[in-house]
Amino acid sequence: MRISLEDVWHVYSPGTAFETVALRGVSLSVEPGEVLGIVGGTGSGKSTLAAHLNLLLRPTSGRVLVDGRDALALRKSELRRRVGLVFQFPEQALFAPSVEEDVAFAPRQMGLGPEAVEERTAAALGVLGIAHLARRPTRALSGGEQRRAAIAGTLAMRPQVLVLDEPTAGLDPFSRRELLGVVRRLREEGTSVVLVSHDLDEVAEVSDRLCVMEGGAVRAEGTPEEVFYGELALAPTTVRVAARVRESAPGLGRPVSYDETLRSLRALIGG
Amino acid sequence: MGPNGGGKSTLVRLLNGLLVPDSGEVAVAGHDPVTEPFEVRKRTGVLFQNPENGLVAPFVEDDVAFGLENLGVPREEMRRRVAEAIRSVGLSGYERREPHTLSGGEKQRVALAGLLAVEPEVLLLDEPTSMLDAPGRREVLRRIGGLRRSKTVLHVTHHLEELLEADRVLVINGGRLVAEVEPGRLMADAALLEENRLVPPTVPRLAADLGLGSCRTPEDLAGAVLRRVWEGSGAEIR
Repeated sequence: MRISLEDVWHVYSPGTAFETVALRGVSLSVEPGEVLGIVGGTGSGKSTLAAHLNLLLRPTSGRVLVDGRDALALRKSELRRRVGLVFQFPEQALFAPSVEEDVAFAPRQMGLGPEAVEERTAAALGVLGIAHLARRPTRALSGGEQRRAAIAGTLAMRPQVLVLDEPTAGLDPFSRRELLGVVRRLREEGTSVVLVSHDLDEVAEVSDRLCVMEGGAVRAEGTPEEVFYGELALAPTTVRVAARVRESAPGLGRPVSYDETLRSLRALIGG
Repeated sequence: MGPNGGGKSTLVRLLNGLLVPDSGEVAVAGHDPVTEPFEVRKRTGVLFQNPENGLVAPFVEDDVAFGLENLGVPREEMRRRVAEAIRSVGLSGYERREPHTLSGGEKQRVALAGLLAVEPEVLLLDEPTSMLDAPGRREVLRRIGGLRRSKTVLHVTHHLEELLEADRVLVINGGRLVAEVEPGRLMADAALLEENRLVPPTVPRLAADLGLGSCRTPEDLAGAVLRRVWEGSGAEIR
């Protein structure tokens, strides 16, 4: 499934003293099966943009299209099921006594039978790597485990697009890496992922395409290589190192992820 | 520092009396947070991991002023300190915004401004930069760094580079204090890092993986790489 935003504007509290323009004519698309990274500074409109992908927020003007059709024409329940949105600090919404009951909640609400609910719950726990925690009380989990349980709850709806808003904030480096592994696994299974993050280093690791937000508008868009090497001020540490080396050794190539960067620097030193 | 679930946030809550120890004693500036909560809380300020949990007032400036109001600070001084705190976290112009309309990173700055306005003796910061972009993080760290020597700062973080200037780093894992080291030594101790699910920042990590000496900035590292290439062949380098 493909989601497109066409010239989307969003104004909070319009007509009041607190009127704030959060999006200023954003046009972009989420292609089937890709990982789209949305980056940008604090208050640049990333979360507002994310909430438009399933019409949790409606555009003040402009359109959201799903496979070419106006998303407003779709049933809301249908849209929310196909586009799963995971908020910042989603573990705050865990409410059931055990992990598996929490994860099973959404598929049960969808009216699926017990077998289908069980199957989806088990699959979602498996993708997130927390099958061994199924019976544990959610309160007894670490922050990283709770975060994954909360994401599993949305994943159990089998969305075609999963939108993750700052999914690694507050996680330790290993938990962060594990979660990026989950994003890669989802892509392999054909789910599109929209990854909203202020952490360039992590977006550089997994994104097929990037959208850089600034002041409510799209400032740059393209592959991580195009965006980062086009504007080093936006680049993660790996690219800043590689770009500096390239000034004197242009043969280096344009690595982005940590492993690519390490490999190309090693080849340069070795050869 | 330490992995999720290791006990860092529990420690912060014990220091503020939000949790009661099952056994043992806690003293903050000589006071027990459980039996003398007011004595402890007027000397300490806490910044919670999720900024949503700390904001109470309808407008940003009221929220930042909240702590000072409770301490009975005179109005004029309060105005001055609130304005200064809001400016120092880069939120000038946000005074009359409603906290719920702010982004995660902006809320985190509001919560920090509330703490900085009070300037308590002890600051307990539970991941104060988890929602901030790189420039925001640098700004906040500079402000926290400015409190060195005059205040006691307990700074919980998952980013080793944020603790390079710390006097001591405590590593907490499995509910135990497993190490107390200088930041430089922690960074160099691969085994200790690995055991505690810590990852060094990108520059020193690349430098170590490439077998180069210690580097701090991308420029340092690029220089070290080029010197190594030059020593090796010398041919193609301008």
